[in-house]
Amino acid sequence: MRVLVVEDDRMIAQGLQTALRQDGFAVDWMPDGKSAAAALHASRFDLVLLDLGLPERDGLQLLRDLRQRADATPVIILTARDEVQDRIAGLDAGADDYIVKPFDLDELAARMRSVMRRAAGRADPEITHRGVRLNPVTHSVEQHGVPVPLSAHEYAVLEALLQRPGAILSRAQLEDRLYGWGEQVESNAVQVYIHGLRRKLGSGVIRTLRGVGYFVPKA
Amino acid sequence: MRSIRTRLMVALLTLAASASLLAGLLTYRRVLAETSTLFDYQLRQMALSLRSQVSLAPRIELPPDQGDTDFVIQIWDRFGARVYLSRPGLPIIDRTALGYADLMLQGHAWRAYGLQTVDGVIQIAQPERVREALARAAALRVIVPLLLFLPILGVAIATVVRRTLWPLRRLATEVQQRDAHSLAPVSMARLPQEVAPLIQELNRLLARLETAFAAQRAFIADAAHELRSPLTAVSLQLQLLERALDAEAQHDALTSLGTAVNRSIHLVEQLLTLARSEQPDLSAALAPMALDQVAAEAISDTHALALTRHIELHLDAEPGTLVRGDQAALRTLVRNLVDNAVRQAPAGSQVRVRCRGTSAGARLEVIDGGPGIPPAERERAFDRFYRRANAPEGGSGLGLAIVKAIAERHAARVTLEDTPGGGLHASVSFPSLA
Repeated sequence: MRVLVVEDDRMIAQGLQTALRQDGFAVDWMPDGKSAAAALHASRFDLVLLDLGLPERDGLQLLRDLRQRADATPVIILTARDEVQDRIAGLDAGADDYIVKPFDLDELAARMRSVMRRAAGRADPEITHRGVRLNPVTHSVEQHGVPVPLSAHEYAVLEALLQRPGAILSRAQLEDRLYGWGEQVESNAVQVYIHGLRRKLGSGVIRTLRGVGYFVPKA
Repeated sequence: MRSIRTRLMVALLTLAASASLLAGLLTYRRVLAETSTLFDYQLRQMALSLRSQVSLAPRIELPPDQGDTDFVIQIWDRFGARVYLSRPGLPIIDRTALGYADLMLQGHAWRAYGLQTVDGVIQIAQPERVREALARAAALRVIVPLLLFLPILGVAIATVVRRTLWPLRRLATEVQQRDAHSLAPVSMARLPQEVAPLIQELNRLLARLETAFAAQRAFIADAAHELRSPLTAVSLQLQLLERALDAEAQHDALTSLGTAVNRSIHLVEQLLTLARSEQPDLSAALAPMALDQVAAEAISDTHALALTRHIELHLDAEPGTLVRGDQAALRTLVRNLVDNAVRQAPAGSQVRVRCRGTSAGARLEVIDGGPGIPPAERERAFDRFYRRANAPEGGSGLGLAIVKAIAERHAARVTLEDTPGGGLHASVSFPSLA
């Protein structure tokens, strides 16, 4: 899961990045509205954490621009503005959720999961597919009731694939979800994780479409 | 509490009652005077008509009075013997009284008229009380209706007074509804001319209060909002510390936590300084002092920060540059300017502080090699919580607001300019001592 943090306060942004990485997210940080808009143009994110009081371009304007060009990337507003009309304006501008600072990291993670679940069109937080059950809260995976220990990266790859069974994700797309900008990516990292997953879950769970990418077959 | 209504009621009713009584008294006296003239005339006419009868038939016996008239008639012959008394038993009236006379008989006042005739004297007397009774009756005819009318008058006065004072009561209700949250002006519609100036002043006061309250509310809202950021950082680092699995993560979180806490403390301190500067302690009178020394003290305050940021602080002060000021406040002013400069300046650069007397007074300048402030933003730079994009960490956004508040108290002017190198050149011009 790749998250863009748009936050002008460097200390908050750094704390958020540390916490989200611990939760297994790939995190990128933009300190102002203008560079955030550029980043959203250039790359695909699974979620945006958006501060409102931004230099250069206001967060609400950024959000409106995003929705205007039919970009449905889930956005959670993360702001110190707690007035009811601010929340209404934020949600009406196209935000999926609204969190007031200061916030609890576990609550933030829960809301992020909830927003991404809804974006994927699912109501059940757990994903079950052909005997594989994935719990996004505990980051645990079971197969036919038997717990399967996975590394954080293996889990992230499996979650990305299980969210939309049948959809093909390229190696680059999977890398995007695993790493933020500037993070060192081993050229064959994704292949290593896929290999690990196949070893633990059996070779039938993840299929390869040669030259295109990987997918989980529809049930 | 003195009630206008009660006072008006009492005064008006007393006046009305007094006027009635005065009218009665005047009527009484007037009627008394008129009846006196009339009855005197009657007495004389009676006497004259008796004279004609008595002189024609001096010995005719007049019948004794039946007691149904007020008059007493006496007739004396020429030898002084009384020949007739209309009401026997009455004490004898002095027969020598000729013409009109006022007499006292057995404690009663009488009016008498004596007429000399050829045969003797005819005297007719009448008790004064007859006249007085007439006058009294006339006076009562005037007073009684007036007094009877008094309660009705009272009700009418009460109504008029209440109606007249109604705008005051409406005002009281309106003013009662005002508090810190609703300071809308009181309506001036249908106000009596006498009350309007008071309400105008009240409305002006309300407007001033409204502005002051709004400023205070905005300040508190801003402050609470601004405090959220450093406190969010504190809360984040605390949660990361709880999650930390190894010593290195713990150490990182602790270091960041310390920074976040210090940032919160700095913001709170700056908020307090600003609040104090905007509402100065009036007891701290301005006194002449050496600006160069204040600048030196302020520089020693920021010395530590300059060292960690590798900034060289340079003071170029003319000794004995005098200004009139509050020493603690001036030190805060200079410290904020220098602190700003040190935070903005790139590592390894120089921040220069200049202080000298001018023809107009004294000037303090702080010059840094930082990014400066674009001309379009220089006005806003003095606003509370103004912070530029990519501003260095730890600033409260209050430094220049504090500088401005203190400068205003000292009648000094703050200007921001560019330095040739693009940095910020802040100068504070103080008025001369004289």
